[in-house]
Order: sequence, then C-alpha cells, then structure tokens
Amino acid sequence: MTSPENGILLTVVTHEDVHLAIVKLRDGWSNAYQKKAAVLRLSRADLEKLALKDGAKVEISTPAGSVVVTARSDATGEAGVGLMPSSLYTNLLASYDPGSPLLPGKHIEARVIPIEKGITPASDLMVRRNRA
Amino acid sequence: MSPRTLVCTGCGCLCDDVQVEINGTHLGQIENACAKGAAYLQAAFNPELRAKSSIRGQGCSPEAAIHEAARFLSKAKRRLIFGLDNSTLETQALAIDLARKLGAVIDDASSFSYGPLIERILKKDLPTCSLSEVRDKADLLLYWGANPTATHPRHLSKYTYYAYAEFNPAGWYPKVTLSSIEVRQTELTTMSMPAFRIKLRGDRELISGLLGESPAASDQAKQFSELVKKSHFCAMFCGLGLVHSLGGDFSAFTRMVQLLSQSIRVAVIPMIAETNMLGFTQSLHQQTSYVNSASFASSVSHGHQFSFLEQVHNHAADCILIVGSDPFSTLPQSLLGKLQGIDIICLDHFTTLTTDTADIVIPSAVPGVECRGSVVRLDGDSIMLAEPIKNGYPTQEAILRQLLEKVQP
Repeated sequence: MTSPENGILLTVVTHEDVHLAIVKLRDGWSNAYQKKAAVLRLSRADLEKLALKDGAKVEISTPAGSVVVTARSDATGEAGVGLMPSSLYTNLLASYDPGSPLLPGKHIEARVIPIEKGITPASDLMVRRNRA
Repeated sequence: MSPRTLVCTGCGCLCDDVQVEINGTHLGQIENACAKGAAYLQAAFNPELRAKSSIRGQGCSPEAAIHEAARFLSKAKRRLIFGLDNSTLETQALAIDLARKLGAVIDDASSFSYGPLIERILKKDLPTCSLSEVRDKADLLLYWGANPTATHPRHLSKYTYYAYAEFNPAGWYPKVTLSSIEVRQTELTTMSMPAFRIKLRGDRELISGLLGESPAASDQAKQFSELVKKSHFCAMFCGLGLVHSLGGDFSAFTRMVQLLSQSIRVAVIPMIAETNMLGFTQSLHQQTSYVNSASFASSVSHGHQFSFLEQVHNHAADCILIVGSDPFSTLPQSLLGKLQGIDIICLDHFTTLTTDTADIVIPSAVPGVECRGSVVRLDGDSIMLAEPIKNGYPTQEAILRQLLEKVQP
C-alpha cells in the first residue's frame, strides 16, 4: 500500500491549449499564463491515492527537474495518466532523448507528490543565456 | 476606417475571409477570426509586443543589426539556419540559397514533428487532397490524435464538419460522420460519433487490428475497421498525438491506408499548426530530395545529425540563424542549456523568449499582415497572402536578401 506522501508514478500527456495560446499572445508570460499552464489534471482515482482535493498543490518530478502546480480533478481522466498543456512547465520536465527523432515532452514519466508550496513562478522557468 | 480582407497567419488554417478595420497603424474591429486569430492580429498591432532590433541586448537600427548578423555569419565556421515554418515561400527560398552559399545546415520543426508524415505524402506513398475536396464529398471525417478546437479553431467550421452544405433530414447534423481517435476526452471527442478513446500509445494496436496483423484484434479495432470500410471517402486528419504515439514511424500506418485505398478513397492531411511548414518541406525536397535536416557543407547531405535538436545537443553549430521561430519557449530546458556560447541571430516579428536572449535581433514584418507572399496550406493548396498594410518593418525576404548579398562564405 503506498502512502500519499510517497506520491504516485504517472505519465504526463501534454497537449495544446487554445486558451493558453491566447493568453500568451495577449499578455506574454504573465500571471494569467502561469494560472493556465501550471495545472495537472488527474483522474479521481489518482487524486484519491494522493489524498488530495481538487485545487491542492502537487510537485511533479522527473530526472530533468521538478515544478509545483495545481492538481485538478478530471472526471474523464484515466488512472496513471495526467494531462498538462504544453508550456514552460512541461519544458522543464522533459528530457532530450538523442535516439528519438521527435520533440521530447509529449509523454513524460513523472512522480507526483502532494506538497504545501506555492506554484513555481513561470519567470523561474525561463532559460537565461549568457550572450556570447 | 477602411475594412480589409486578410489571410490570417495565426495558425495553419490560413483563413482567407478575416476582415479588419485599419486606421493608420491602429487595428479596429476584426470579423470572422477565431479568438486565437484575433489575439494574433491584435498582437501584430501592439508595438509593445513587437521585436526590436538589438545587438547583444543594446538597441540599434535594423540596418546595423543586419550588418552585424552578416558579420557573425561570415566569421562562423559551422552555421545552422532554423525555423522558417511561418515564413513565405519566397523567404524560405532565400534561406535555402543562404544555406547553400554558407555551406550551412538548414532545418525546420518538421524534423521533430510532422516530417515523417509529410515525407510520405510528398513521395506519394500516402494519398492526400485539398480541403475543398473534403467538404461535401468525404463521408467520414476522422481526426486522429488531433484536437482542432485547440490548434485550428476554425478547421471544423470553415473546412470540414460545419462547412458541409447538406444536412440530415431533420436538419440538425451535417450529412457526414465525424469521428475521432484520442487518448483523452476533448471538445472534439464529445462531438464525435463514434469517438474511439484508446489507451496511451494504443494507435499501433488499432492499426494492426485493421491490417489483420493482430489475431486477437480488440473490439475497438473491429469497430474502427467497420466504420472506415463502410465509408466511401475518408479524410484522415492526423495530429501530433498520432505522430508521437507511432514514434514518427508511419510504415504500418501507410500500409493501413494503402490497404483501405483498395476499396475506398482515403486522404491524409497533417494537422500542421505552423502556417507554411508544408511549403518549407516541399521547397527543400524539390532542391535536395530531403524534407528537412539538410547540410550544404560539401555536397548536399542529410541525416538525423543535421536535425536542429541534434545540432543543439551536440554543440554542432557555432552560429545559429533563427527565422520566425521561438525554440526557447518550446524546447526542453535541458537542451537549451547547450546553447551557451553560441552566437544566435533571430529574425522575428514578435518579442519572444528567443529574441530576449539572442545576440542579434532583427525585427520583421508579419507575413499576411505587413507583407505579401505565398504559402502552402496544410492540405497542399497554395495561398497568396493579401495586399500588405505598411507598418515600416522590413520583410524577412528583404532581410535575407541583404544577408545573402553581404555574407562571405
């Protein structure tokens, strides 16, 4: 029996979100962007396993990094599969696989644990490069 | 205010009936555009969201930025040109010329998305057709791993389901079957009858079932097979969900379409989000026989090592020219870390994370709004972009022409 603190393993499936695309065009990397992007939709079964209510915060971790986002209940969701819009959040979680010809980040294997922390600010996810 | 009709370049739909009111450089009312297209057009007329010319973060004139970009490209030893999926055919042709002159690698986002599917369509291994052929003629619209309500908001209303002129006797539904194959519930799957909700990466199993290669085909595979076989003309709209599920390997999918084509008409149309990815891949294919990831270092060569992702991963380039693309907001962070120490030149009309970090930024006109040209829509139809609205930005075509003249290989 897994305890909620240990979290669960799941596959995060990323997808396009028209509302997020519009917010990005209108307001850039604003709070509105963060609010729409930092959301993980979980099945009711997975929310129960994590002993979480809709709107609680979770930390999603992969070998590439971790982010804190809001967990939302998805009545149509499948256990073991989480849904997230493609965004700076999923860019951080994705790892490059030189063997694959495709852009990484469509299916991300991750651990999700309940956490009492604030959402990772979108501004923390922007890669700053030292100009040559 | 004078109303103008534009081709919206906000997504791959390229809606040609968008009307805007322009007063000088101010955008008034917009009609017929979807919310995404309207946001795109509004951004085009918002000076705060437009890219500004700069050299290493310091503001400069566009001419100075172009001059410096030519110097960077000339002194570099291993140049890479990337992007171009939202550029006109004319710009793409110049970029290929520039790559040839510089002995550079050239690639676009198709190398890590729709490339394998596009290549099979261009080589005629897979049948396709125009969207105008689909309307009122296809009796089965199948969206596979695609959710147009999110990516192409007017796809159904302008080109497919809602664009049908004939309705069922009660007049409630268009006379066509709308179906979808998806791993999750979306706006489209709730409209689809039937919707095939498959398990994650279950597309291959469905294809095997239809091909009869799986002795214990699932009920879903059997239902899917029956649905397709009882149609006369099936238009398959393939999205990134399918591309990723198949790992970019469309061999079984091609066999399935070829098998179906023996008894019904099948047309495959990729749900490309960019405005002219098909144009780039066609142009490069005509010149090199490759759809992407080409190197002009000696003779023309091609391979995974020349894909943008591999070039970045392997630190293969010392100067990258990015045209109308924003890899800093789409690539994994771990990969972006590999761009330290590389000269980046970015041509774009909007401020993006890539323009924020590029060494040289050259602002450009918005295709379809501020410059004309031609593009190839996702179904292969050529679209002429309308008469431009003059906002004073140089076109990508003009910038690349200057670079082509100035650079020294």
